[in-house]
Amino acid sequence: MQLKRVLTLRTVVATSAGLTLASSSFVAAVMVANYVLGDSAWIAILIGGALCFLAAACFSELNGMLPTAAGIRLYFSRAFNDQVSLVVSLLYMLIVVVGVVGVESYIISQALHEVVPSIPPYFWIVTMLLLVTVMNLRGVKIAGVFQDVVTYALIAVLVFIGVFALYKVGFKLNTPLAPGGAVGIINAVALGVFLFVGFEWVTPLVEEVTQVKQIYKGMMIALGILSVVYAVFTTAMTAVVPKEVLLASPVPQLVFARTVLGGFGASLMVVMILAASMKTFNAGIISVSRFMYASAREHVLPAVFSKISMRYFTPWVSIITLFIIGLLASGLTTLTKNYQTLVGLAAAMESIVYTMAGLAVISLRRKEPDKERPYLIKGGYLIPGITVLVFAILAMAVLATDLTALLYMSGAFVVALVYVKTAVPRLKKKYETRRPAARRRRPARTAAGSKEGK
Amino acid sequence: MATHEEINEALQDFTVSFNNNDRLRLMNRDWNRVVIVKATDVESVHTWILKNGELTLQEGLTADPDLTVISDSETLADIFYGDVTPIEPYNNGTLRIIGTEDDITRLDFICLMIWGE
Repeated sequence: MQLKRVLTLRTVVATSAGLTLASSSFVAAVMVANYVLGDSAWIAILIGGALCFLAAACFSELNGMLPTAAGIRLYFSRAFNDQVSLVVSLLYMLIVVVGVVGVESYIISQALHEVVPSIPPYFWIVTMLLLVTVMNLRGVKIAGVFQDVVTYALIAVLVFIGVFALYKVGFKLNTPLAPGGAVGIINAVALGVFLFVGFEWVTPLVEEVTQVKQIYKGMMIALGILSVVYAVFTTAMTAVVPKEVLLASPVPQLVFARTVLGGFGASLMVVMILAASMKTFNAGIISVSRFMYASAREHVLPAVFSKISMRYFTPWVSIITLFIIGLLASGLTTLTKNYQTLVGLAAAMESIVYTMAGLAVISLRRKEPDKERPYLIKGGYLIPGITVLVFAILAMAVLATDLTALLYMSGAFVVALVYVKTAVPRLKKKYETRRPAARRRRPARTAAGSKEGK
Repeated sequence: MATHEEINEALQDFTVSFNNNDRLRLMNRDWNRVVIVKATDVESVHTWILKNGELTLQEGLTADPDLTVISDSETLADIFYGDVTPIEPYNNGTLRIIGTEDDITRLDFICLMIWGE
């Protein structure tokens, strides 16, 4: 028998690429360009994309072996242990939410503030977050087709503006293979990885496709498309607008579009920023609120997060908590204007997760050698090994050059570790002590239990 | 290991609990779904049909599923007797559910409403 509704490869590609194509990606693209000399940002971007192919291969093997929407929570739990899995999952969700919501909301608010200067930027942040929160509370989902259309339209617009700009300025590569010193390149590649953040968030869809291979095919296609799109667009941005001007703006894509196409370009880019950010916000809140709900149900977060709306079947406490965290994150970003630290923080966290994905592949091959693997990375331990090495270096490079990001990361890690070591055992104990009274033993078990008791 | 009869009994129990809960029936009146429950270690397959808020259970495969719940017999019986939440075996890989993420979450919501925490 077949599932009634299955996803197509088109939707898998759009989901993988769509989660990645956030408005904040262009801030990272400009930061990448700033680390390398001349017009060679494309080299760092393509290397970043190629490295993500390695991570995608690791995720594909894990996802094929353990096809579940629980994702890294299950992979790392099997490969290492439950505590490691929990610490990393909590850290990942927290940093991604704070990083992505903080940066995205800041960018939207700045873009809209440019269009309507009389309205303060924070008004836009509150409005957007409220809108997405209400949609999530009411269980309103952006239709799959609409998400596909937005993603493919965004890709088409970026390629069009990029190619048009390069044509308009008669672009020629002046320094095609001279990106500068090694430190600059390593940092550029590390931030280049941020451009692809989220491509692996498509793995939970494994339960909605007919064949597991559609997921890894989709991830690879998305990474290929994104590598080209980012490389073209970033090269065009830096060819048309001076790097220092782009770097000074939280919405470099808007500055670039206005320079190339005037008012029409700016309007088009504002629409694209809005669509991309709404899509990213929405996907982020859905994923993280479901993660919080599931964690509360397995008694690793307080039970209050498993409260559901009786009307809309949505985890309302988790959604409202995320709204508050989002407001705080974006408020702090607006006050400090330090959105670049959040980009670095998210890039480092993503690199850590990719490092652990490589380690998980190696560990599971040793622990469960006979388990069926629909997708097996060829070449033994070579690709997982390179993935571990490369992403560990990239994570360290980002954190070593941004001490504020290192401080935030260390603080968040300590909090997550202490929470998992102290609060989680208490929550589980509390549940266990309460549970026996409500437990509905099966008759057969009760009989077996009483026999054993005698 | 649980027997087919035990799984059947657990599913019957769950079906009765669902149908006796007016609120749950009202909340799911638009959620028309076919759910297959399949054990991996014993011959046991059931089909749940949820239509207009009314849940019916049939033995065997009787319709194309929206959701397929697959696990060992012991875990299935435990889940549908309310001894464990579906999330625990799901997160440790013992339970596999094939379907959309929304439907999976809805199924867990229903278990939560029937059995509590």
